[in-house]
Amino acid sequence: MKTKLLALLLTLSLATYGQGSLKGRVTDEKDQGLPGVNVLIKGTTQGTVTDANGEYTLANTTADAILVFSFIGYTAQEIAVAGKTVIDTQLVPDIQALQEVIVVGYGTTTAKELTGAVSVVKAEEITKLNTSRVDQALQGQVAGVQVTTGSGAPGGQMNIRIRGYTTNGDNNPLVVVDGILYPNPTDALNALNPSDIESVNVLKDGTAGIYGVQSANGVILITTKQGRKNTKPSLDFTGYYGVQEAANKISVLNATEFAVLKNETYAGGNEAPPYANVNLGEGTNWQNEVFGTAPVQNYNIGLTGGGEKATYSIGASYFNQEGIIGGEKAGYKRYNLRVNTTFDISPKFTLENVLLYTNERRSTVPEMGISAILFNTLNANPISSPYTSAGEFTLLEDVSEVANPLAQIYNTFNDSKVNKIVGKQELTYKINSHFELTGRAGYNAAIVDYKDFSPPVYYGTGKAMNTLNLNSATGELEPRMKEIATGVSLPTYNWVNEKRTTYLDYNFEAFLNFNQTFNAQHKVKGTFGMSAYGNVSQELSGTGYNVPYNSAKFADISAATGPDVLNTTDSWQDQTRQQSFFLRGEYAYGSKYMFSAIVRRDGSSRFGENNRFGIFPAASAAWVISEEQFFNSSLIEFMKVRASYGVSGNDKIENWKYRALLGGEGVYPFDDQLTTGAALGVPGNEDLKWETTHQTNFGIDLNLLNGKIDITTDYYIKKTNDLLFQPAISAISGAYGAGGNSPYVNGGDVKNSGFEFAITYRDKIGSDFTYSIGYNLTTIKNEVTALQQGVDFYSFGGFGVGGGSVSRMQVGYPIGYFFGYKTDGIYQTQQEIDERGVSQDPDRVKPGDLIYKDLDNSGDISFSDHSDKEMIGSPIPDVIMGMNLSAGFRGFDFSLLLYASIGNEIVRNYERQQPMSNLLTYNINRWTGPGSTNEYPRLTTGNDTNGNYNGVLSDYFVEDGSFLRIKNIQLGYTLPAAISKKIGARKLRFYVAANNLATFTKYLGYDPEFATKDPNVSGIDTGFYPQARTIMGGVNFNF
Amino acid sequence: MKKLLRTITIAAAATFISVSCDDFVDIDPKYTIDADNFFLSPDDYDRALTAAYDLMQTSYLDLWIGEIASDNSVAGGESVTDTQGLHEIDAMIHGGVNNELRNFFRWMYAGVTRANYIFEFKDNIDFEGKDKILAQAAFLRAYYYFELVKFFGDVPLIVDKRLNFSEISQQERTPATEVYAQIETDLLYAASILDWTDEVKGRITKGAALSLLGKAYLYQNKFDEAAETLDEVIESETYELDADLEGLFRVGGESSPETVFDIQYVGSEGGGYDCFVCLEGFAAVGFHGIREYKGPIYATGNSYNLPTSDLKLEFEAGDPRLDIALLDIEAFKDLHPEVEFAPGGGGHTGFYNNKYLKRADELGAGDDDLTSPVNHKVIRYADVLLMAAEAYNRKASPDDVKARGYLNQVRDRVDMDEVNLSGTALTNAIYHELRVEFAGEGHHFFDLVRTGRAAAQIPGFTVDKNELFPIPQVEIDLAGAGWSQNPNY
Repeated sequence: MKTKLLALLLTLSLATYGQGSLKGRVTDEKDQGLPGVNVLIKGTTQGTVTDANGEYTLANTTADAILVFSFIGYTAQEIAVAGKTVIDTQLVPDIQALQEVIVVGYGTTTAKELTGAVSVVKAEEITKLNTSRVDQALQGQVAGVQVTTGSGAPGGQMNIRIRGYTTNGDNNPLVVVDGILYPNPTDALNALNPSDIESVNVLKDGTAGIYGVQSANGVILITTKQGRKNTKPSLDFTGYYGVQEAANKISVLNATEFAVLKNETYAGGNEAPPYANVNLGEGTNWQNEVFGTAPVQNYNIGLTGGGEKATYSIGASYFNQEGIIGGEKAGYKRYNLRVNTTFDISPKFTLENVLLYTNERRSTVPEMGISAILFNTLNANPISSPYTSAGEFTLLEDVSEVANPLAQIYNTFNDSKVNKIVGKQELTYKINSHFELTGRAGYNAAIVDYKDFSPPVYYGTGKAMNTLNLNSATGELEPRMKEIATGVSLPTYNWVNEKRTTYLDYNFEAFLNFNQTFNAQHKVKGTFGMSAYGNVSQELSGTGYNVPYNSAKFADISAATGPDVLNTTDSWQDQTRQQSFFLRGEYAYGSKYMFSAIVRRDGSSRFGENNRFGIFPAASAAWVISEEQFFNSSLIEFMKVRASYGVSGNDKIENWKYRALLGGEGVYPFDDQLTTGAALGVPGNEDLKWETTHQTNFGIDLNLLNGKIDITTDYYIKKTNDLLFQPAISAISGAYGAGGNSPYVNGGDVKNSGFEFAITYRDKIGSDFTYSIGYNLTTIKNEVTALQQGVDFYSFGGFGVGGGSVSRMQVGYPIGYFFGYKTDGIYQTQQEIDERGVSQDPDRVKPGDLIYKDLDNSGDISFSDHSDKEMIGSPIPDVIMGMNLSAGFRGFDFSLLLYASIGNEIVRNYERQQPMSNLLTYNINRWTGPGSTNEYPRLTTGNDTNGNYNGVLSDYFVEDGSFLRIKNIQLGYTLPAAISKKIGARKLRFYVAANNLATFTKYLGYDPEFATKDPNVSGIDTGFYPQARTIMGGVNFNF
Repeated sequence: MKKLLRTITIAAAATFISVSCDDFVDIDPKYTIDADNFFLSPDDYDRALTAAYDLMQTSYLDLWIGEIASDNSVAGGESVTDTQGLHEIDAMIHGGVNNELRNFFRWMYAGVTRANYIFEFKDNIDFEGKDKILAQAAFLRAYYYFELVKFFGDVPLIVDKRLNFSEISQQERTPATEVYAQIETDLLYAASILDWTDEVKGRITKGAALSLLGKAYLYQNKFDEAAETLDEVIESETYELDADLEGLFRVGGESSPETVFDIQYVGSEGGGYDCFVCLEGFAAVGFHGIREYKGPIYATGNSYNLPTSDLKLEFEAGDPRLDIALLDIEAFKDLHPEVEFAPGGGGHTGFYNNKYLKRADELGAGDDDLTSPVNHKVIRYADVLLMAAEAYNRKASPDDVKARGYLNQVRDRVDMDEVNLSGTALTNAIYHELRVEFAGEGHHFFDLVRTGRAAAQIPGFTVDKNELFPIPQVEIDLAGAGWSQNPNY
C-alpha cells in the first residue's frame, strides 16, 4: 500500500514538473471560500471543482493555459496561468444580478427570464433595518409596496398594500413562507424573526395569479435561511439593544394658556370664567407623564452548514420591546426556534423540513378613540397635577370622559400568550432530468391564551370606565351590583376574563414540474399541481368575578370567589377551506423571448354552490432586446421589456356570509331577567361570487454602464370588479337589528393605476470606497369606477362625537375620500355676516365663526343635506418614495433609508369640544376680534344661542399628511479579518443605528404614517399609538 | 427503499387528489341554525318572539324626537354637531340626511321583520300557547308600524314574510290608511287572544293592545272607535292612577297599577356607543343626565333633551307635576350648594328632564350613560284616561260629561282643581293637560301635529311639510323603488 502511494506521488510530482501543476483558492465577495466553482482550462474539457474550502488543485496545466472560473450567480473569470503555480481569485457576483433566482410560486426563474413584475428584498437589506417585523423592513425598499402602521404599539398591526387599494375589504396580500400559506399576514410576520429570512419576493402583477386564491392583493413570498451543501458550520450571532422614545409630542396648552383660553371660552358663552387667577405657570405636561423611554432588544443565534447529502440551518432568537406608553403593560416579547433541514434520502428524493416554534407575549393599553390613553392625555386639564399630595392618582373631574391616564395605565392588566408551531414537510422526487414531483404538507397550529383583569376602579364622577360607584351620602366607594335573579343582586368587585383560542391552518400541495430544452433554443417549462388549504379555529372563554384582594396577582378564574351564578362562559368555532388546481406553461426561445401562461381553478367554502368555483387565467411575455443582433449600445448592457395580464380572485370575507344564519341578537327582559331569543342576523346572499382583479402590467428592465445602474420601471392598471363588501342595504330588508348588518354583495368596481420606478446605482471610488444609491417611486391613482345600480355613494366613519360621516366611496373619486364643507376664512364682523348674501345658520352664527362656501350657490349654507359639501381630501398618497444610500470604506459601512409619502390628507379627529378639555396650541391664535385671524375660529362653550357650526367636518379639520421620514440610519465597523481571526471569528461587526430618527411633516398629530385596515376610514386619526424613535447599538458576529 | 418512497409519493399524490375533489370546500357551519330551518319546537317560536320584542328598546329616539321637535325641549349635548340630526330637528331644518331618523327607520323595520318572520312560519307546527305567541307578535308588528306611520306617513307595508333582495325594489310606499288598517287588524287580533294581565312582567297584555289601538284610532281622528276601545280598558278596572306619580318613573314604580305598556329595561348588561341597538338599558336616561354633575341624587350625563322655559310656563301655579317633570338646576343648587355641573356646548336651558334623569341609585353597568334600568313608560293609565277624554270631547256626538270626568280623574290625582268646561274650551283644557301630564315623555310633537296646532306652537314649523319627517334620502336610494319624498322636503 505504502509503495503504491509513493509511486503515485512520484508520478504526480513528475507530471507536475513536466507540464506544470496549479493550486489556489476561490473566494466570494466576502472573502469566504466558495465551494463548487468550476475551474476549467479554456478550450479543453479538462478541469476540476473547488472543495468545501474553495480550494482546488489542477494538474497538467501548461504555462500558457487560460483558466476559466465559473459559478452560478457569479461572473465567469478568465485568468492566464502565465507560469504561476498558485492562482487565488475572488469571484464577483454577477453584477447584473440577472442570474438571481426568483421565486415565482411553485417554481423559480431567474431575473433575466422573469416575465412578471416581481421585487426582491435580500436578507442583508432586511437585517440592516433592525425592525421587529419583516413588513416594517419592506417599507421604502420596494416600489409598489406601501406599508402603514395600524398601531405603533409593540406587536401592533401593520397594513401592507401592494399597488394601491384594490378592494374596500381586506387589502392585505397573501404571505407564503417556505411554501406555507398565511392568508393573514400579521400571523406570519409576527411569528418570524427578520434575521431568519433569506429573501422576500413580492409578486405584484397578474403573474401572482399562480397563487389564485387570495392572490388579488399580491403575494409576498418569504424564504427562510437554508444551509448549503458541503459547507463548514457557520455560527452567527447578532444582537442589538436600543432605547425608544416618543418621536414628537403634540403641542397642547400649558396651565396658564389653558386658564386664559377657558376664561375666554366661558365668557364667549356668557358664563362665569372658571379661573380667577390665570398665572398658573406651566402646570402638568401630561404627555411627559405618560410617555417614557422603553428598551427594545433582540438577540439571534444561528448555525448553518451542510454535508454531502444534508443541509441544516438552526436558529434561535429573543426579542423584547416595551412600549413608550405603558412600558411593560404595552410590551411585546417573542422567542423563536427554527430548524430547517434538507436531506437527499436517495439520489432522486429530497426531503425538506421546516419547523418554527414561536412563543409570543403581548400586553396592550387602550388606544384609538374615547378612553384611549392618548385621548385622555391630550384632553386632561394641565392645571391638575397627576398625583395628590398623598401620592394617589388625581381624579380628573373637569371632563366626565377624561380619566387620569396614569391611573388608567396602572389599572390595565392584560396579556396574550401565543404558542405556535409552524412546519412543513416537503418531498421532492426527481423523476428524471425533465420531471420533478413535489408533495408538501404545511401546518400552522397556534394556541392563544388571553387574559384580562378589571380591578375595582374609580376615576372620578361619571367616568365610563368606573367599576365602583361613589355613594354620595356616605362618600364611600361601593361595588356595582349585578342582578342575577329578580330582587337578587350580588356585588362585583373585580373580574377576570380568560380566553383560549386555537387555530389550525393546514395546506397540502402536490405539483409536477417539467423542464426541457429542445434543440438548444426552445426552453419549455410546465407546472401542474393542486393545493388544498383549510383552517379551523375555536375559542372557549369565561369570566370569573371577585378574585381575592382585588389583586392582579390572583387574577385567574380558578381563584375567583364569586358564585357560579355570576360567572359566565362562551365559545365559538369556525372553519374555512379552499382548493385549487393550477397549470403553468413557460416557453423561451433562446434568451430573447419568453412567454408564460397560467390557468387556475379555485374553490372556496366562503361562497355558495352557485359561485363556489372560479377560473383565473394569466399570461405574460418578455423580450430581451439587448440580445438582438441589431441592438448595439455601449451604454445599455441589458434591456428587457415585459408585459403581463392576469385575473385573480379574492375571497377575503367572513365565513358563511352567503347563507342566512340566525346570528342576530334578540335579548329582552321578562321579569327583569334578560331572556335570550333567536334573531335573524346578516341576510345571506346565495349569489355571492369571487371578487376579481384584472391587472395589466408593462415593464422595462435596464442595466447600464457596465452594471453600475439597474433600472426597473412598471406601469400597472389594476381593475377590481365585483368588490366584496357590505354596503348598506334598504332598511326594509330588516337587516339592522342587533347582530344584523348589511349582507355581503359584489357591489362595485375600483381601478388603481400607477407607475413604479426603481433605480440602483453602485460604484467604487478607488479600491476602498464603495457606495450605492437606490431610489424607488410609486404613484397611485385610485378611483371607484362603479357601484351597485341606484347607489350614488356609501358613507363611512364618524366625525367628532355623534357627528356625521367622514368619508365616502363614490364613482369617480378615490376610495374613502373625505367629504365635507369648504371654509373661506372667518367672519370678522356682524356686518360681514349680514352683507354676505348667503345665509349660514343666522340664529347662531357670529363674528369669529368659520365661513363656509356656498357650493351650490343656493344663497344658503345647508347643514341638513349634502348640497354644500364636496371632496376635501383623500387618504391615498399620490406618490410614495423610498431612498436607500449605503457606503463602505475599509471596515466602515454606512446606510440610510428615507421614506416619503406625498399628497395624502389626514382628518384630525382626536380633539374634543368639551368646555374643559385641553386644546391644541393652535387655538392660541383664535379669533378674538375683527382682523385678529382669518384662520382659527373663536372659542365658546356655545350654549343655546351661542352654539355654532364650527365643529362640522370641514377642510379646517383636514391636514396635509405628507411626510418625509428618516426610517433608518446606521453606521457600522467590521474589524479587520486579521484581528477577528485571532479570536476564531470570521467576522466581527459593531454598529449604531436609529429608526425613525426624524420626520418632516406639517401634520399636527403624532405620526402621519398610519392607516387603518379598512380603506374607507383609513385617514381618520382618532389618536393612535405612535411609532417610537429608537436609538440602538448592536453586533454581528460570524464564527 | 426506492420502491417504498415511490409508493409513498404516489399514495400522497392520490390523497391530495382525493381531498382536492370539489366536496372538500362544501362544508356547513357548526352549531348554528339556518334561518330557513327553524321553528321546529314551541321554544323556537318563543325565542323568535323575544327577539321581536328586542327592537322596542330603541325607543329612546321616539322619546327624544317627540320632545325636541316640539316646543318642549332643545337638543342639547356636547355641541351642535353632537347627534346633529337632533339639532336639525330642534331647529326644524331637518332634511333627508339625518342619522337619527335613518337609525329609527332601520330599527323599526328590523322589528317588523322579526315579527313577520314568526308569521312566515306560523303554520310549521301546532302547540298549545301558539296563539299567545302570535298575538304578541301581532302587537309588536303593530307597534313598529305605528311608529313608522307616525313619523313618516306612507311606508311600505310588508306582512308575514321576509323580503328577498329582488323584492325590495318592488315595495312601494303603502298609503298610511292601509298601514293603519293593518295596525288595527293586528291589535284587534292581539286583544282577542291576550289576557288583561300576565304574570310575567314585561309581556304584552290585552290592555296594552287595546290602549295602543285606541291611540291609533285617535291619530286617525276616529274618535268613536277610540272612545269605545279606550272605555273597554277603563271599564275593565285593570288599572288605576298611582298616587305616587313621581315614583312611577323610578325602577321601584315599574309594577305600578298605572302601568299599561312599558318597554322594559334592565341595567345588568354593559353597553357601548358602538351599538345602540344592542343595549338592554334605556339610553335616554343617561343622555338626559346633567353634564359634569357632582352632587347628591343625580349622576352625570350628556345633557340631552333639555326642557325649555316655554314648557315650564305651561304649568299652572302650584301644579306638582312641574317639579316632577323639570329639574331646575339653579334652584336645586341653591338647596345643595355643593352641586357642580357644566353646561353643554349643544345648548343649556337650566332645566333637565326629571322624569327620565340619571340618578345615582339607578345606575346600570358600564358605560352607565347607556344602561339605565329605568323602564320607558309608553302608555300609562293617565294616558288612557286623557285619550278617552279627548275622544269623547271631539267625537261627532260629544259626551263632555264623560270627557270631563276622565280629565278630572287625572287632575285629582295631583290635587289640581277640577275643570268645568265643555266644547272647545274643554278640548283646549285636555290639550293643556296632555302637555303637562306627559311633559318629557315624548308625546308632545305628535300631539301638536295630529291636532293641527304644530304651526302655531313650534317656531320654524312649515305646514304641509313638517307634519311628517322626511324618509331618509339614502333609504329612498337604496330601495330603488322610486319612492317620492314626503311633501316639500
